[in-house]
Amino acid sequence: MEKQIREYASGNEMAAIAIRQIGYDLMGYYPITPSTQIAENLDIMRANGESDLIMIAAEGEHSAAGICYGAAVGGGRVINATSANGLLYAIEQFPVQSGTRYPMVMNVVCRTVSGPLSIKGDHSDIMFMLNAGWPILYAHSVQEVYDFNIIALKLAEAVRLPVVVAYDGFFTSHQKKRCYRFEKDEVVWDFIGPKKEDYPFLDLEHPITVGSYMNEPDLINNRYQLHLAMKKADDLLPDLFKEYGELSGRTYGKVEGYKWEDAQSLLLLLGSSYDTALEAVDKLRAQGKKAGALTLHTLRPFPDKEIASFCKNAVNLLVADRQDSYGAKGGNLSLEVRAAIQRAGGIPGCTCAGESASDGGAADIRNIRIKSLIYGLGGKDFFVEDAIKMLAWAENQESPDFAYYGVTKGENPKEDSDDLFFAPLSAEKTRTGATRVEEKDGEVQVSGGSLNATAAVPKRLAPGHGACPGCGIPVNVNLLLRAIEDPVVLLFQTGCGMIVTTSYPHTSFKVPFVHNLFQNGAATLSGIAEICYRKQKKGEIPAGDIIFIMVSGDGGMDIGMGSALGTALRGHRLILFEYDNGGYMNTGYQLSYSTPKGARSATSHVGRAQYGKGFFHKDMPQIMAATGIPYVATAAESNPIDFIKKAAKAAYYAKTTGTAYVKALSACPLNWNDKPATERRVIEKAVDCCYFPLYEVEKGKTTLNYDPEKAGKKAPVLDWLSMMGRTKHLQNEIYADVVKDLQEEVDRRFARLKAKAENPVL
Amino acid sequence: MEKIKLPVTGSGYYEIRLESIGGLGANLCGKMLGELGVKYLDLNSASFSSYGSEKTGTPVKGFIRYCDKEKEIRVHSPVTEPNLLVIFHQALLKDGGVWAGCNENTEAIIAIEEGQETDALNVPDPIKACHVVKAQKIAMETHSRINVVMLGAMARVMGFAALEDVNQICADALGKKYPDALKGNLEGIKRGYEEVKRIEGKDSQAVSLKQAPKWGYETAPIGGINPQFGNTVATDLSPSRQGYIPLFIKERCINCGMCDSTCPDMVFQFAPGLYKGKEMMVNQGLDYYHCKGCLRCVEVCPVNALVRGVESEHPGKGYFLPNKDLLHMPDYIKAGPDGYVTSESYLTEKRMEGGEV
Repeated sequence: MEKQIREYASGNEMAAIAIRQIGYDLMGYYPITPSTQIAENLDIMRANGESDLIMIAAEGEHSAAGICYGAAVGGGRVINATSANGLLYAIEQFPVQSGTRYPMVMNVVCRTVSGPLSIKGDHSDIMFMLNAGWPILYAHSVQEVYDFNIIALKLAEAVRLPVVVAYDGFFTSHQKKRCYRFEKDEVVWDFIGPKKEDYPFLDLEHPITVGSYMNEPDLINNRYQLHLAMKKADDLLPDLFKEYGELSGRTYGKVEGYKWEDAQSLLLLLGSSYDTALEAVDKLRAQGKKAGALTLHTLRPFPDKEIASFCKNAVNLLVADRQDSYGAKGGNLSLEVRAAIQRAGGIPGCTCAGESASDGGAADIRNIRIKSLIYGLGGKDFFVEDAIKMLAWAENQESPDFAYYGVTKGENPKEDSDDLFFAPLSAEKTRTGATRVEEKDGEVQVSGGSLNATAAVPKRLAPGHGACPGCGIPVNVNLLLRAIEDPVVLLFQTGCGMIVTTSYPHTSFKVPFVHNLFQNGAATLSGIAEICYRKQKKGEIPAGDIIFIMVSGDGGMDIGMGSALGTALRGHRLILFEYDNGGYMNTGYQLSYSTPKGARSATSHVGRAQYGKGFFHKDMPQIMAATGIPYVATAAESNPIDFIKKAAKAAYYAKTTGTAYVKALSACPLNWNDKPATERRVIEKAVDCCYFPLYEVEKGKTTLNYDPEKAGKKAPVLDWLSMMGRTKHLQNEIYADVVKDLQEEVDRRFARLKAKAENPVL
Repeated sequence: MEKIKLPVTGSGYYEIRLESIGGLGANLCGKMLGELGVKYLDLNSASFSSYGSEKTGTPVKGFIRYCDKEKEIRVHSPVTEPNLLVIFHQALLKDGGVWAGCNENTEAIIAIEEGQETDALNVPDPIKACHVVKAQKIAMETHSRINVVMLGAMARVMGFAALEDVNQICADALGKKYPDALKGNLEGIKRGYEEVKRIEGKDSQAVSLKQAPKWGYETAPIGGINPQFGNTVATDLSPSRQGYIPLFIKERCINCGMCDSTCPDMVFQFAPGLYKGKEMMVNQGLDYYHCKGCLRCVEVCPVNALVRGVESEHPGKGYFLPNKDLLHMPDYIKAGPDGYVTSESYLTEKRMEGGEV
């Protein structure tokens, strides 16, 4: 047995340690809770010079999967990590990878699939992978996360298939436990062995074509090859487990059981709940009850024979599903277990389970009675008492064959009207006349808009939201909305702004609001706007101006840029509003494409081998301007009157012409690491150093609304960077080159803006 | 090493629950406690925090389990019946729910403020014992943080962790990266250890705050739809504050509206009125239920009509005015918004560096 080191770590930390030890070439990823920490931990190792892994932060999971696929085709060792809707967003890529037979490993840290949006753990995501052609190993403990990551790559390269290592989000990914890892990386390398390529893609002497266009009669043969590879994996796994066991002292099987040999009633569950069930089994055994528990280490290939052999003496089998295949009377786990038992010769017609139970002796697989319960959705905690109740359910002759466990009927709410805290915001209430817009001689002009007068416009957001003290998001949303006096309909893309306002059963919105995932908010709002205009035209709802507004963070403008550009190119009458806090703050501040170069983030750490983020902030307003929409503007809370006027103009264009895009720089005290009270000054400095210039592009014509040089306030970019903890390190001389680069880029962009402002043709 | 006899109860584990607020460092504290068990106490341990999207100022729970090193920790669920309950901020006592599951085996430690009457603490009976420590004061005096003071106090109350082991775990966590901060933190641990003291509980019942009716599958609108627009207004956010509030000196106010433009929490209540004989929107007061104490308004007020005040010195807040658009006053049902911890790498670091969050 090889020497090992004791760690006190979480599943995500152990995954990162395994990945570092294996020495992968490349990770393509996109942050999504709860898998994000894997990339974060790897980035720390990179920054410290402990790993030379290439880490590519894609703009979305679909691209991350593409990056991984490309790197795998190129012959690299490739790793990815994702969860929930991230997995689903990328899912079309997974059969491509397995069908063209390029091995890699992906950690799937299991989480509930939205919507309604939940970040907590169940198995609704991983079950979508069952048909992707990837072997799936399921780890129920932190230790197994480490071990399976190592086994997975060897398996992947042996059968030339990509492999998933799955484990429970939070329960396994975040809980810290005592566990062990090999002291020497070489042990891991020797176990996995060198990578072999049958058809090296980058061998220019022997060009190959990957990804042919293939119809009948060939495709079915390709699929059969995949089937054979999966079968090979099935045959190989016992050997791999054994070989690994000799190295580590931990020998796994496809199925793990506890006190199953003589158990009358077995509880089969996947993931961390299995551990909890063991506690229940011990309690029941102490009462003289013959209970046992099972879990699976492999979901694909599905260990049907092994399951049957573990069940051969049982009378009752309860399969607990942490997801539902709606309408199929069970989650995928229980459906497949039922099929496996049938294949082994069992399954009802039998009615004799009760008799066998009274015998107390061994039963026959033909007589085993299987039930299933859906439990623990959305990360609902699973207690020892729950496992005890489930085993009782299994034994109870009267209990249904299939049910949901742990649902509640609910209390009768008061009459709706008693519960409402506010009167609806009618147009009469919001149309105060504080801000007025009119078109004169082809020019849109805004008058009024003072802070005092616009204080009369009722806030569309109720207080009591959960944003951090000093958060810029509500500030910016309120500045936008106080200028818009027509009724508004809001769509927020996923992000802090949505999370802190809509925590069920509460909502901060006093106007119609919808959330959609941030790949797709702009498209969704297009649909809402168009149906509204149609209904108004048909007289189904009252006529009158309604302003449709999408609110997104800069993260949503990364992953959702395609959707936003499509919406702009189609020219729907709506506003796209971006609050740019320069990072994926909702998931704990990973770099976004708008994070300043050099800034520290959870995926761009600062260390001896890394200075922070490696590339420039994205110039989203110019990208938007290129779509030719009638109105593009940038706004900052430090110039509130300018902000209000731009918001009013945007609404005017959305009402009359087409898409308007407004971007505001938005403070994040938590992750900018500065004082909540001083955020307006920090924003002001960003404007004064021209990092965030205030301008508008109106019907193609650029106007610079504020020139810090003319105001005598022009500052070096470093002055702004020095105000935030995330960029303070750039003051150090060793980062002078980074600051110089950024300064030159900022100057270049500002000079171009000025040239555009001076020349209407540009 | 002499084998520790853990005072375990029915569950077979010695279980700790931390009740805290995002930003006080309970997450790191829980992590240190967990490592302490495995590395220095020759025990097995596991630790985790309540999960979700971390926001400053929101309630956070931490859970730690200890058991003999031969035993596996097979339970992943939150600690419901703690042997040790640690309350990091007295604002959390507003909701008696923090005491859930406490029984005759539970010892409690509460962080209190200087000068606070311990009689006023609503400690429920029966619990085994209640202890208090002036954590904020000690943290300020030692240039450490509340979490290490509480760590010291916990070592004392648990009785099976030596002070030097706790020092060591702190040095492991902070010493390498933040050597300058270590001395103060060790002093904070020591004073927490020495100054935690037992108080006598009263025969009082913990009173849980009123909860809104809970929707279930028969009563919830389908699809997760929420028709109760704007109902976050029924949330009392005052526990988010970290000791300071804006004070309003109305005589100075020129009703420029800058405060209203910078407030993320809709605290300022403007209504039509007269100012210097002119009809305009006039600042009527502040909705302190929803003020998180960020003090953005103090910073932008051009005439110092808003100034920073220590909240405990202003129990009767001037110009306290609940949201003016409310149809009826809510029963303030929820102390603090939902909030949890997901990510730690970056946040933990910068907080140790003394980030103002």
